[in-house]
Amino acid sequence: MNNKAFRLLAKPYFVWLYVLALVPVFVMLFLSFVKSEGISFDEMTVSLESFLLIKERSTLVAFRNSLLFALSTTVISMVIGYFVAYRVFKSKFNNKFLVLTILILPMWSNLLLRTEALGNIMEYNNIYTDLLSKAGINAGISIRGTSLAVLIGLVFTYLPFMILPIYTALEKISVRLEEASLDLGLTEFQTFWKVTFPLSLKGLISGSIMVFLPTLSGFAIPQILGKGNIILIGNVIEESFKNMNYNFGSLLAVIILFFIIGALLIINKVDKDGETLL
Amino acid sequence: MEKKVIIELIDVVKKFDDDVIVDRLNLQIYENEFITLLGPSGCGKTTTLRMIGGFEQPNSGDIIIDGKVFNELPPYARPINTVFQSYALFPHLNVFDNVAFGLNNRPFDYLLNFFNEEKLRHEIEIENNNKEITKKDLKKKIKEKISIAVKEALALVSLKGFENRKITQMSGGQQQRVALARALVNKPKILLLDEPLAALDLKLRQSMQYELKEMQRQLGITFIFVTHDQEEAMTMSDRIVVMKDGLIQQMGTPKHIYNEPVNRYVATFIGESNIIRGTYLKKDLVNFMGVDFDCQGYTFNENETVDVVIRPEDFDVVDLDKAKLKGIVTQSIFKGVHNELTVVVDAVELNVNTYENYVVGEPIGLKVDPYEIHIMKVNKDE
Repeated sequence: MNNKAFRLLAKPYFVWLYVLALVPVFVMLFLSFVKSEGISFDEMTVSLESFLLIKERSTLVAFRNSLLFALSTTVISMVIGYFVAYRVFKSKFNNKFLVLTILILPMWSNLLLRTEALGNIMEYNNIYTDLLSKAGINAGISIRGTSLAVLIGLVFTYLPFMILPIYTALEKISVRLEEASLDLGLTEFQTFWKVTFPLSLKGLISGSIMVFLPTLSGFAIPQILGKGNIILIGNVIEESFKNMNYNFGSLLAVIILFFIIGALLIINKVDKDGETLL
Repeated sequence: MEKKVIIELIDVVKKFDDDVIVDRLNLQIYENEFITLLGPSGCGKTTTLRMIGGFEQPNSGDIIIDGKVFNELPPYARPINTVFQSYALFPHLNVFDNVAFGLNNRPFDYLLNFFNEEKLRHEIEIENNNKEITKKDLKKKIKEKISIAVKEALALVSLKGFENRKITQMSGGQQQRVALARALVNKPKILLLDEPLAALDLKLRQSMQYELKEMQRQLGITFIFVTHDQEEAMTMSDRIVVMKDGLIQQMGTPKHIYNEPVNRYVATFIGESNIIRGTYLKKDLVNFMGVDFDCQGYTFNENETVDVVIRPEDFDVVDLDKAKLKGIVTQSIFKGVHNELTVVVDAVELNVNTYENYVVGEPIGLKVDPYEIHIMKVNKDE
């Protein structure tokens, strides 16, 4: 087969890219600068009204919440994820990928379903308290609707995205390097900080981005577990579109997009070979 | 001069699961010697090296270094450094930091001792006239000293000026030198080398062989070298240990092993050789291929079946009427300095090296001098 035929095979993807990714971005950009009813062109006027809405307290709080939740989720996932990945990496299981598969198994069930189930456990009465009460123990706490619940939900959902890249990075480190370090007089602890950790940093960074970005823009988890008490920017965007305020929704979406591009630029700067995302 | 034993392995056994890799190995290694563990892959040579380095623990037996039992000691507590086969350079550090890695991460007290505290204090006193020498002064001085030591080590392996290079920007040969410098800068008593030249091309490998040998002589460090390349072992070693299936087959100087192999295995592994079944008739007379040959210096039972070893270069090609063996040349390969002939004598193929040219099909006469005939006991399991 020649190159031309192969190029043709890529055409559907380009169509998909243009129609469903590139054009919508420009539509959103356009919508940010007009005032309209939905996407209808009737009575559409150029307006910067959406920009005024940003300055509103509720929007700013949502932004702040988003950033705080995204940051704390990332940091918590980093710590837990690193421990898990390192533990699996150091373990002597024959089939480490099976272990990893089990770890990421929850990822394969539907997000909404999983979050709803998690929310259920966070209620005062749930399956566990039920079982415990059968055993004569009455213990129940309700955290659904609190920031803690949202944080737990976010970490629970996005932790696998942290574990996998860290594990991959660790797995790439040759055992010989650790041996060389021990050979040169470093203890196991020193070896970890001087060799293993720096060499797994790329995995940690790519994992962080894979956790940070979706938590920054997501709306389902805070909605379900926060019971409407916790508003992230994703929720504001969702509300705007629901209320036919496409202009404001688009503007916020574009702003989030800038965050994402910014993050990608940082990776690009740090890692020119693009190894991080592999 | 009595040589001092620096490492002693006593009855060392290493098993992986139930596979015996090293079987009751006994070995003494002397100070300042270049010793090579030679054998095919899977013979236990690398495992032996890794036990000396502390990366593997023996199942039983003792590893004694400098009179102390080292069995359980982790690698970082041993006065030993290793050059790994894959070099194992740290990809996140540049050349300088790779070489400085060991010293940079040593505790302060260790470094004071390493660079001789007295000397450091003296040097600082000369530099600044204030009498008070603070810990900060010492630390600064040590940093300087490390930098000097690293540069010296790099100069030793002819890599001056490469300090700031990235490891990925270095060729295989250069990486190999960095690995060497990284080990040598720590001034180990013993340097372990695990097939460090295996990945280099022939030319580079040969020049590195001489350089390594030269370095070992100058630095006075004990080198323990592991290789499967018999030529490499011959070129560099003071002593060679030939191993097979976790057992030492023979130990000795390269010359000794080449000239006096103890069995068929060593004879075939070290260089080309013709091994012919024969009979030891009586003192200084051996019969093989139907001809009686004079031999020297071997004592076996009369009429005992023996293996006779003749190196290809030890055959003399002579006129047919003076020949003890007559055969036909079936193959002739030009090797530059000599020709490698395959000669068939009575349906037995012999390898013969000669400087003269012979064409295929030509009849040829062979003779062997008595001192070139080496006789071995027949090994029962072969």
